[in-house]
Amino acid sequence: MKINRKIIVRLSVVVAGVAVMSSCSADKDSAGLEYMPDMYRSAAIEPYVDYGEIREVTHDDLKVRLSAMVPPSGTIPFYGTDSMTVALNLPYHRLANTSFKLSHGMYDAELTDVNEYEAAAADGNMIKLTEENVEGIFAKGKELYNVNCAHCHGDKGDGNGPMVESGAYVGAAVLTSLEISDGQMFYSIYYGKGQMGAHSSILNKEEIWTVIHYINKLKDGSYGPGSEMMTEEVEETSEENQPTE
Amino acid sequence: MFRNYSNWCLSAIFMLFIAGAQNVQAQGDGLFKAKCATCHQVFKDGTGPKLFEVRKKWEDGGAKEGSIIQWVNNWEAAVANDPYAASITAYSPTNMNKFPDLSEEQIVSIFDWIDSQEEGGGQAATTADMTAGGEQEESSLNWIWIVIGVMFLVIVLAVGGVRRQLRSAAAEEDGEDFDDSMTYLDEIKQWAWVNRKYAGLIGLVAVISVIVVLFLGLYTIGTVEDYQPSQPIEFPHSVHAGTNGIDCKYCHNSVTKSRTAGLPTVNVCMNCHKQISGRTADQQAKIQKIYDAAGYLPEGAGEYTGVTKEIVWNKVHVLPDHVYFNHRQHVVVGGVDCKQCHGDMTKMTQTAKVQPVSELNKVEGNVQLTKTTLTMGWCIECHMEKEISMGSLDNKNDGYYNEIHKRLLNNDKSLYEQYLEDGKVTVSELGGWECAKCHY
Repeated sequence: MKINRKIIVRLSVVVAGVAVMSSCSADKDSAGLEYMPDMYRSAAIEPYVDYGEIREVTHDDLKVRLSAMVPPSGTIPFYGTDSMTVALNLPYHRLANTSFKLSHGMYDAELTDVNEYEAAAADGNMIKLTEENVEGIFAKGKELYNVNCAHCHGDKGDGNGPMVESGAYVGAAVLTSLEISDGQMFYSIYYGKGQMGAHSSILNKEEIWTVIHYINKLKDGSYGPGSEMMTEEVEETSEENQPTE
Repeated sequence: MFRNYSNWCLSAIFMLFIAGAQNVQAQGDGLFKAKCATCHQVFKDGTGPKLFEVRKKWEDGGAKEGSIIQWVNNWEAAVANDPYAASITAYSPTNMNKFPDLSEEQIVSIFDWIDSQEEGGGQAATTADMTAGGEQEESSLNWIWIVIGVMFLVIVLAVGGVRRQLRSAAAEEDGEDFDDSMTYLDEIKQWAWVNRKYAGLIGLVAVISVIVVLFLGLYTIGTVEDYQPSQPIEFPHSVHAGTNGIDCKYCHNSVTKSRTAGLPTVNVCMNCHKQISGRTADQQAKIQKIYDAAGYLPEGAGEYTGVTKEIVWNKVHVLPDHVYFNHRQHVVVGGVDCKQCHGDMTKMTQTAKVQPVSELNKVEGNVQLTKTTLTMGWCIECHMEKEISMGSLDNKNDGYYNEIHKRLLNNDKSLYEQYLEDGKVTVSELGGWECAKCHY
């Protein structure tokens, strides 16, 4: 009898021990122990960090309520002091259509009833290709294209990117057979078109024009500084790519 | 014989028909993807209405024959011609493109292809990736060990009890007086005294191992390996970066422009999710959170309401305030791949976590490191190992590093040659170990 009671007591101690041990298993929501938290927690505002609790004082008004916001409309990024870059990145002079409010959620943007997409056909590429910069622009354009466009439109512009191949998308525009002018392409990338959303929050104007150069290169392998200038020799190929200057 | 011949004839005609149908199918498939898919989906309304059995819909609605073909070529002409076509324009304020270059045969082939589609077919591939496997297995394994341990203890205690009872019974039989008051502890003490050499040795080993364990425990203070905070949406990276091949830098687009990699804003999510609303109930529930955040009603043509909500993501990789880290410096100038520090996200079925260094080392092409992820030792180790562009010796990364190489060559040629002895110039050799690079 005596022995049995001892065994029961010991067993219960073991079970309690196991329970305590298992409760120590890692809590994924905890970043773990830290020492000197005052050196860890920035007093200056850092992105995506919750300031609801600083130095053991709770600040309800500083609790994270927002995360990952588009900059307020009308704000202009700082592009340094190079006047060419600044000029290139001045706000886009064409406004989105009123219908973009419902179709692309542009509630903050200034809108217009004029069909600016048609008018954009007259815009030429703001980055001029020269013999010196052409290689760099195509390389940069390729990089931007592969990051931002290729998953839908395919790395060759054939509308067969991994998104389409995996079956997530029914299809995407075939860029190589697209017959729109550079200006309209810019408008579509900037504000979105059809199912495609606006990419102005991801790419700045300089980058969009660079990508357009690369897309033209995908459409026509001989696209280069000459075709941009619409010189006599390459007029045949250039007409499709550069309707008006 | 003749019957056979006619059979053969019939089957040949049938085969031809199938081949022809497949040809038409292929043409319709290609045309649909190239011309229509930007706005139209087969089974779901989007920018344009769904197109499955749209001819039947027009017919039932009382449209004139052939006006749907005219609509595709030039919708304005069809509107003038047919009141039913005019009523279609009410679907959305966005006008349809005109396709005057499509022939009637081509348009019919598109509609044939659309009507031959089966809902949900060929699209279930991505769901398989959704199930989280590894983690759960691991924790259940831990439980098995605990249960085995408990069972072992019970057996040891039970055997001990039986042994004691047997001994007391044996002593009783021999007429001896068995000391029942001796506890386990007394017995152990007695045993330890008899075998004091071994007991001392075991004690020493036990003390040393306890100290080692304590020290290792202290090393985990202030480290964040395996930190995986819960997120508002259980985001599967494997589906986005893996199955659908989206580049990391598309969503985390400020990584090439700023100090932080950035979380995608909801409009970036909507670039794809306007079309993709999920196939399983689980996916739909997650994507609904994006729609709530963006203020989007996916029904019908889909429209934005202007009423938005915030998604509050929890930051995973948090560096102490006294450390300066710049993503742009590493990704753009240094050309470091995301997976060096974040692991292979294309296989990550769960939300992001601080990958332990052992996981990072498994990724192909990574610099092999030993120290805990996100500690200073880890950074320093990589700066010691990582080779930077050879500058003037190779021209693949001109600019930034070329300038440093040039200055080194001009200032102290012997030092530069010393650097190049092992055939590479590492980050630390170009000042990557300077305190003020990261602490100021």
